[in-house]
Amino acid sequence: MDGRETLRLATRAIRGHKLRSALTVLGVVIGIAAVVTFVTLGASVKADVVGQIDQSAANNIYLLSGPEGGDGPPQAAGPVYTERDLENIRDIEGVDTVVPRGGVRADAVSARNGTVALGANSGSVTATTPAAFDRATFLEGERFERGQSEVVVNEQASALFEENLSVGDGISLTLAGGETANLTVVGVVNRTGTESPFQSFSQQPQFYVPTDPYYDRVVELSDGTEQRAYPQVTVVANPAEVTATKERIEAYFPDSDAAQLQRPGFEPSARTTGDIADSLEELVDRLTRFVTGLALISLLVGAIGIANIMLVSVTERTREIGIMKAVGARNRDVLVLFLAESALLGVVGALIAMPVGVVGGWAAASYADVPLTFVPEWFAIAIVVGVLVGVLAGLYPAWRAASVDPIDALRHE
Amino acid sequence: MPVGPLLRAVATDALTDDETDAVVSLADVSKTYELGGTVTALDAVSLSLPDGSYTAVMGPSGSGKSTLLNLVGGLDTPTSGTVEVDGKRLGDLSEPERADVRGRTVGFVFQTFNLMPRLTAAENVALPLAFQGVDPAERIDRAKQLLDSVGLGDRYDHHPPELSGGQRQRVAIARALASEPAILLADEPTGNVDTDTGEQVMGLLQEVNDEGRTILLVTHERAIAEHADRIVHVRDGEITGIEEV
Ligand SMILES: Nc1ncnc2c1ncn2[C@@H]1O[C@H](COP(=O)(O)OP(=O)(O)O)[C@@H](O)[C@H]1O
Ligand SMILES: [Mg+2]
Repeated sequence: MDGRETLRLATRAIRGHKLRSALTVLGVVIGIAAVVTFVTLGASVKADVVGQIDQSAANNIYLLSGPEGGDGPPQAAGPVYTERDLENIRDIEGVDTVVPRGGVRADAVSARNGTVALGANSGSVTATTPAAFDRATFLEGERFERGQSEVVVNEQASALFEENLSVGDGISLTLAGGETANLTVVGVVNRTGTESPFQSFSQQPQFYVPTDPYYDRVVELSDGTEQRAYPQVTVVANPAEVTATKERIEAYFPDSDAAQLQRPGFEPSARTTGDIADSLEELVDRLTRFVTGLALISLLVGAIGIANIMLVSVTERTREIGIMKAVGARNRDVLVLFLAESALLGVVGALIAMPVGVVGGWAAASYADVPLTFVPEWFAIAIVVGVLVGVLAGLYPAWRAASVDPIDALRHE
Repeated sequence: MPVGPLLRAVATDALTDDETDAVVSLADVSKTYELGGTVTALDAVSLSLPDGSYTAVMGPSGSGKSTLLNLVGGLDTPTSGTVEVDGKRLGDLSEPERADVRGRTVGFVFQTFNLMPRLTAAENVALPLAFQGVDPAERIDRAKQLLDSVGLGDRYDHHPPELSGGQRQRVAIARALASEPAILLADEPTGNVDTDTGEQVMGLLQEVNDEGRTILLVTHERAIAEHADRIVHVRDGEITGIEEV
């Protein structure tokens, strides 16, 4: 029997039981739409995360401390990078700038028009060097100078006060020891470009002070000498050799003070902005796969629905199968006819599922507060999945139909 | 009219000898069913049908008439013995080849019509041609001609439930003729229609035979059987006699 006639007969059989077919298709729609929803959500989250990565941070290498063996995210786990380490790293080929960072404990910041507690800022302000602002975009003013009582604030920190902080304003920091440091605001920065690969990082209020004179954490080395040390360092590398530079820094680590000063189980870690982006994408992908896997279960339920209704259909139409065989249908004709019917249920399900899935993806994305990203190839994949679900679910029922004995079938009812 | 075993032997011998122009021949065909005990539906039956002949198989209910007809049409397979139709031994054929015999070499007409309920009259008549790959326009044309010839020219698009029993049986006859079969197999074709309509149906079968097609008719009614040229009497799965009308 030709394909067109097969399709026509299959369509007619489906139309013959409108409600039943609609409910069966609904099962497939829910399954495929759920998959499309989560794939769309995953793609949207990924695009958002990747979009968050600050392009001006592309040449950065972040030195932190990470669990040995590299399993687990690196963190600022205590002052380990000594001044000697900074010197040595500065000499490594491909290194342009080395920017250390450390926290200075402070309880509150006061300006002329109010006082802000720093509890939300983990009770500290950031001590760093002027090089931290090499790639910064200043809204106003400029970087501080080493050894001066100056502070750079970001936009959010400036907005903490009733009247926004601006260049020239004086602030006083209540330090952890109870002393007060008086500083002058010299710049309001949008983002520094050296702290984090993420633009959203700069959405937290930040106060930046010079390491000299405000940072004073020292560590004692095994040879008895004392050194100032920092928990985190950003290395800005020559754009042409970011990865190679990172590898050279890693090669230096075994000789570093940082390696010696690590807590047990930790080691120095160097990660480029690209590394961080990759591992985040990997994380989002893994989550997407997991959730999509859950959605696949509902697709499986949809497939079982098709198989079930096809088996009922074979039983109901046993006599028709007998008639077809009596007028010359081969087993193959019957098989193809029933397969076409179940494939059609799958395809119709997929066609309806696509817009539903896109709407679902849009709803999920807006719930997750990320912009919607389409995955157009999923339209094709959904159709293929629909056909596949229909055909696989229909295989056994169709085989049953094909192997109906015409004599028994004509006796049926 | 009980017929003795002697007559039966003579009659079947006479028929099997005449194999030159036999379009159907059965040799020692048996069919048994195992259902707790053994039911013998047909017991070593030999019979041949000359090309263009009109034969009725007559016997009481349960005597094995339908079984015989289904074996000739390749719908059923014998437990032992051979069935040859139009020069082909059905036992040697593959499944698709046997389907082809059902679709092209023979045409079935059943007591209960056996039309596809969701197809129109014309589509029902065209159905055998669909399985032979005849293109849609051509097969619908052919179906309409056949419906015209059985007097249903105004019922192409009616579905079986909208037709009377006699009309349905005429659709079934048209369908049986769609692929120009050499042999028409009719199992109690008047069983579900009233006497007048039954006469119409028998008239159509006569026309089919006049066109040169071989007919094998199954019935339990003498009046119907008498439309044929020969009556083969069966009882308990055996041929008990052959009567020329
Ligand atoms: N599928 C079957 N299973 C068991 N017994 C059957 C089957 N088909 C037919 N028979 C038995 O075979 C015998 C002949 O049946 P059948 O050929 O239908 O008789 P008829 O058409 O002469 O009424 C009957 O006894 C019937 O019960
Ligand atoms: Mg019968």
